[in-house]
Amino acid sequence: MTNATSGAKRPAWLTVFGVFSLVLFGYGMYSALVVSPPDRNQGDLIRVMYAHVPVAWLGFAAVAASAVWGMLYLWRGRAVDDVRAQANAEAGLLFSALTIFGGMTYSKPTLNTFWTWDAKLTLTALMLALIVGYFIVRGLIEEPQRRARVSAVVMIIVLASLPFNYLAAEWFRTLHPAKSVNLDGSGVSMDPVMLRVLLINVAAAAAVFIYFVSERIRIGRLALTRGQMADAAQTASQQGGREVVSVR
Amino acid sequence: MNDLIAALAVARKDFLQELRSRATTVATLFFSGITLVMMAFGLGRDPDLMASAAPGVLWVALAFAGVISSAQSFQADLEEGALEQLLLLPVSRAAVYLGKLLASWLYLSVLGIIMLPVAFALYGASAPAETWWVLVLTVILGGLGFAVIATFYAGLTANLQAREALLPVLMFPVIVPVMLGAVRATESALLGGADIGLAASWLQLLAGFDLVYLVVCSSIFHFVVDD
Repeated sequence: MTNATSGAKRPAWLTVFGVFSLVLFGYGMYSALVVSPPDRNQGDLIRVMYAHVPVAWLGFAAVAASAVWGMLYLWRGRAVDDVRAQANAEAGLLFSALTIFGGMTYSKPTLNTFWTWDAKLTLTALMLALIVGYFIVRGLIEEPQRRARVSAVVMIIVLASLPFNYLAAEWFRTLHPAKSVNLDGSGVSMDPVMLRVLLINVAAAAAVFIYFVSERIRIGRLALTRGQMADAAQTASQQGGREVVSVR
Repeated sequence: MNDLIAALAVARKDFLQELRSRATTVATLFFSGITLVMMAFGLGRDPDLMASAAPGVLWVALAFAGVISSAQSFQADLEEGALEQLLLLPVSRAAVYLGKLLASWLYLSVLGIIMLPVAFALYGASAPAETWWVLVLTVILGGLGFAVIATFYAGLTANLQAREALLPVLMFPVIVPVMLGAVRATESALLGGADIGLAASWLQLLAGFDLVYLVVCSSIFHFVVDD
């Protein structure tokens, strides 16, 4: 707030990191489309997985990050933490929407249906609905502090709902709870080349994600500074005029 | 101790208010009844299909009734600024939350126990006599799950526009596990016999949900109502 002009200048590392993310993303695409061998069962369709799985993981990471920033806001009350929580939530909205889109395109040719009530996809759909609710709540509250506090609480509930919703989605199609839980993914063996390609794509998606969020935080901070300056200017003009009116 | 007395006082206030006005009772009772009838028309006339759909339809009707009753409970407090007065009490916010939750839970449980035989009669389902305790326990635990989330979000949306439409959007994705557990436990009770063991594990899911959200919601409730 004291040094408004320095915040307006775009930091150089952000541009460098953006270019790096783009290059890594290109390399990930190349690995997925060219380097990776076709799958024994799914053939070339396995290449969808390299885009789908990293995006899905990051969608969940985004919600967790947003909830953590929300908790920090509730603890410290710093407006910038709300900006960070919001930026992560927006990325979570985008990535979970992409996850559902990717999952549906993936399951149409492999399972011959767009929607299978697959546990992880169902969980993502519920999470997407919850993130949409988060943004509806944000949009309805005018006062910045109350908005930050209430939306942090909503995101904490979203995070808390994930394990329960996962169990529910997992058990939805089975008769008995606790039979089909297989969290460790045991029995899945992956070709080393494919695993490497997957990890490259996870890194690429994470870089793109971090770039998006950093850029969004930068813009959010500018908006925050501008809002505070406008408040200060209003207070000053009111003080200079008739009487002292405290804003907020 | 002070908080406990306050919570009971808030619950008593909500309950007395409802007992005297009966506005929400009439609305939710007939609303859940008419939902059962509408769903019957939606499902068609296959008796087997209707009998097997009974638990699901019952819990959908109760979920909607839970939304209406908890929204109404905060709506009544908002009038004449009663909610502000309530928050001026020198007790923790959690006590106010727990008080309203207690009233809402009691209300939903009674509603559930009334609607249970109505749904079974309308849909031609019947449960073995010895499973009545499973059904009652399911209504009590499922009602608590609905009440915990509905009361929390009703407090959160009390001051917002379009709260009636917003409340189900916010709370339904959270209560999916309660919905599933309650429906499956009710189904197991209908089948009776060896399926009672299944009902027990679904009831455990409900109890776990209730416990976790009871702790989470009562510890962060003050953030949503403070100014």
